[in-house]
Amino acid sequence: MLLGLDVGGTFTDAVIIEKGQVLAQAKAPTTHADVLEGILNALDKATALAGQLKNLERAVISSTIVTNALAEGKLPPAFLAVCCGPGMNTAGKFPVAPLQLKGCVDHRGKITAPIDLAPLARANSIAPAANAAVSCKFGVRQPLLERQMAQALLQAGRRKVFLGSEASGELNFIRRTNSAYFSAQVCDLFRTFCSRAEKALAERQIKAPVHILKADGGTLPLAAALEQPVEAVFTGPAASVLGIEALGAVDEERPGISLDVGGTTTDIAFWQGGRPLAARRGAVINGYNTAVRSFHMRSIPLGGDSKLSVSLVNGERFYFVGPQRVGPAAAVGGEAATLGDALIAAGYISFGDAARSHKALAALCPGLDIKEEAKKIVATAVAKLRGVIDEMLAEWARQPVYTVDDIVKGTEFRPRQLIGVGGGSLGLIKALGEAMDLPVSIPQGAMVANAIGAALARPTLSAGLRADTTEGHYIIPESGERKPLPRPFNRKAAEELLDRWLHEQVATWQLAEQETEVISAEHFRTIHGYYDTGDIFDLRMQLKPGILQKVAGFSGEVAL
Amino acid sequence: MTDEKKTLGLVFFPAFDWMISPAHPERQERLLYTRDQLEEEGLFDLPQIREYRPRLAAIEDLQRAHVGVPSVDKLVTRAHYVSAGGCLVAADAVMKKEVERAFALVRPPGHHAMRVVHGIRGFCTVNIEAIMAEYLRTKYNVKKIAVVDTDVHHGDGSQDIFYHDPDTLYISFHQDGRTLYPGSGFLDEAGSPLAWGTTVNLPLQPRTGDRGLHTLYDNLIAHILEDFQPELIINSAGQDNHFSDPLASMQVTAQGYARLADKLKADIAVLEGGYSIESALPYVNTGIILAMAGLDYSKVVEPDLSGLGREDERCDQRVRQLITAAGELYFNRKEESARQMARLGSDKVWARRKHIYYDEEGIREEQQEAVHYCRYDSDGCRGYLTILTAAAGTRFGDQSAFIVCITRNCCARCREAAYDEALREKKRSKVQYVLVQDIAAGTVEAL
Repeated sequence: MLLGLDVGGTFTDAVIIEKGQVLAQAKAPTTHADVLEGILNALDKATALAGQLKNLERAVISSTIVTNALAEGKLPPAFLAVCCGPGMNTAGKFPVAPLQLKGCVDHRGKITAPIDLAPLARANSIAPAANAAVSCKFGVRQPLLERQMAQALLQAGRRKVFLGSEASGELNFIRRTNSAYFSAQVCDLFRTFCSRAEKALAERQIKAPVHILKADGGTLPLAAALEQPVEAVFTGPAASVLGIEALGAVDEERPGISLDVGGTTTDIAFWQGGRPLAARRGAVINGYNTAVRSFHMRSIPLGGDSKLSVSLVNGERFYFVGPQRVGPAAAVGGEAATLGDALIAAGYISFGDAARSHKALAALCPGLDIKEEAKKIVATAVAKLRGVIDEMLAEWARQPVYTVDDIVKGTEFRPRQLIGVGGGSLGLIKALGEAMDLPVSIPQGAMVANAIGAALARPTLSAGLRADTTEGHYIIPESGERKPLPRPFNRKAAEELLDRWLHEQVATWQLAEQETEVISAEHFRTIHGYYDTGDIFDLRMQLKPGILQKVAGFSGEVAL
Repeated sequence: MTDEKKTLGLVFFPAFDWMISPAHPERQERLLYTRDQLEEEGLFDLPQIREYRPRLAAIEDLQRAHVGVPSVDKLVTRAHYVSAGGCLVAADAVMKKEVERAFALVRPPGHHAMRVVHGIRGFCTVNIEAIMAEYLRTKYNVKKIAVVDTDVHHGDGSQDIFYHDPDTLYISFHQDGRTLYPGSGFLDEAGSPLAWGTTVNLPLQPRTGDRGLHTLYDNLIAHILEDFQPELIINSAGQDNHFSDPLASMQVTAQGYARLADKLKADIAVLEGGYSIESALPYVNTGIILAMAGLDYSKVVEPDLSGLGREDERCDQRVRQLITAAGELYFNRKEESARQMARLGSDKVWARRKHIYYDEEGIREEQQEAVHYCRYDSDGCRGYLTILTAAAGTRFGDQSAFIVCITRNCCARCREAAYDEALREKKRSKVQYVLVQDIAAGTVEAL
């Protein structure tokens, strides 16, 4: 038995699933002042329906706690120290002005200047803020300088220090730094939330492990998530995508685009092989680039309750859809016409009172053929969606290519299906399907897709291994491990080392056994003065992500 | 995202699966550390930079600049189509005004590849700048182009292709040919009569560094560019003038290169050589990219400057000599060109002999090249070229060809005369191949 809890903008949802059967679904209003209250209300409603939560294996919370805390900008600043080394001027790239220290590491992990910790001691005596982040350019190739900084800060009494190289093992100094910084900033608040949630669930006799959903669509136990709290940002869209996957809406054979149409916004994601595509770069938080992994997604302010407006230019009528929300639709008692009303009048969907939709639309286009005008409004909304889809396609097409083989074979994404979920605005996706000449599928039971996604998400964990045989060591940045290379060393040995480390993590955090897979692998022979000097291996692996099981049916009660 | 004006378009293609041979300077590893540095800096995230992926160039694109024997396609790999295609993508981005400038950070390189190709020389098979220049003329009607070659080696391939074209200004500074491959690039190689002075060679004393280079730029190159008024500036951005380069003996730093990029403000830069793959390329490329994007590059400094020596007085002296001599040559070019044109006989033919060595494959080529200027005074007609070539030791054995190149805007009578020569040669059948290149169309016809 699996429990999923998802905090949305309006409602907090809870679902209980067993062996692919959704046993209970419940909704409670989201309580913005303290989201935990709403979570517990929804949970209590669901358990009232399902009875005892026997054999509960896991509870997953997808909450807005980190997202909102960072977006509101009310958190006290954390302390940040960096070793930038030579390169780009980083002014303005970090959320706070960092303390810059001397010391640098080059691209092969060689320390080209030792660190000078004296300024750190001075800064500590002036502002002993609780948590800190430290980051060094190429810290993922050699974490020593970051460790020295962290040690000095911990000795000076800081509670927790986040390292850039542990935030992500991938290259991009600025993104790693910002991830570590936001983790430091949100850490205390997130820890309080986690311990309160754990306590409240314990009071309800829930003894199963409690996981948190992350932006990459995977889960981790609370204690593990506390190591990188920033990853619990933007979980709503991730949960929605996983819900779509769990509902079995995506044809694995064909690349596709999913659109989750809500009242206010539409979330768009890309699919290949039945799985959502991951974004190439990390998420942007408060305008700062981070290394937080997420899906290749876009949210646009366009939904069933979007406001309609019109302007006249030289006698020609131009319609606008959104970005404000006015809803609900006039058909179900709203004041003004919304996109939902236009979809009703144009004949794409039917719900509520169609006569009220007509009346509300007539205010926008007095004396004209309502059906024709409604079609134009729908076309405007469709054009807006297509614009965003085209941008996403263009962005995907700009992914870097490093080999001739990539160019010759092509890595293009050509959608061959649309998947629509959410609310009463599915007509919009039908219209989009007509415009793009793509088949549309609309799965059943999408009312609590987000909570279903949260309940069924697999744990995710990824790590890198880099070995430079000239230098004689390998490093797993996520672990801070830097060890002598076993001999003989080759690609297979590298995979074994990394696989072993990932499985050690699985054991430590008591996750269900899961296979690993290689995300990327590079191998270069290094040459100096026309002679071989060694090999560089660069490997990334992860626990296979996805969902634990697909939803086969809805057999239980619903409390909405 | 779309309404934001991007400053720099970046085509980054490190060709991690292409090499000449395993231990060759042109091997998979060449741009590995550069890729790592650019990724680690987060340059691809900058709002001023837009990334482009290369495409495969068409055979016509290659054939506007080259005549391959037996054919270009038989001589190149897929990688060459991609690196040439990367330059075309950069050109499109600039010409469509999606970005202000572009940098094609691609390999394999090209500036030693001449018009006629029998194999690989100086790591190059096709000339990616020349291919791009011809593309710019065909697709966008660009006329006046300046190519500034900042590679340490003389770009003898580029010089060869642009030698007869008064609308292309080719400026190359490089380590003196008496001390470095390919051994050419002296002041008197200044162009054929009609294009006299639009090839500007600036052979520098070994060990010249930032000071000498910038003195030369400020006091000569900048003035020449100002005078020529090109519609577009292309930078053949070789990076082997760096003090740590294993193949050459100059003293330029990453700062020196970045400042040069900042002053030159090239519309399109194309990577050429540069083989200090660990100590120079990561920093030089970061510097050039930042400078071209209009960003602060002052913090781009090599971590190890211990190999940087002093520029001695001989370097400065040479720079001063060049400023005077090359300045005189360039600024008096029109008078000199007219004199040379007047000296031609009534057949209006100018000819030269060339011995070309392909270091990579050990090919020895003999060429007789002739420029046949238009005898009919047709407006804008630049006549045609004939090239008789014989090469020993190619991968296809010894081979010979008679080649006719029909220039852009060639008048009907010159075109006819060109074909007549080709057919005559065919009848005589002393060569293996008779080939007709139509530059505007990008076709090479085997008769």
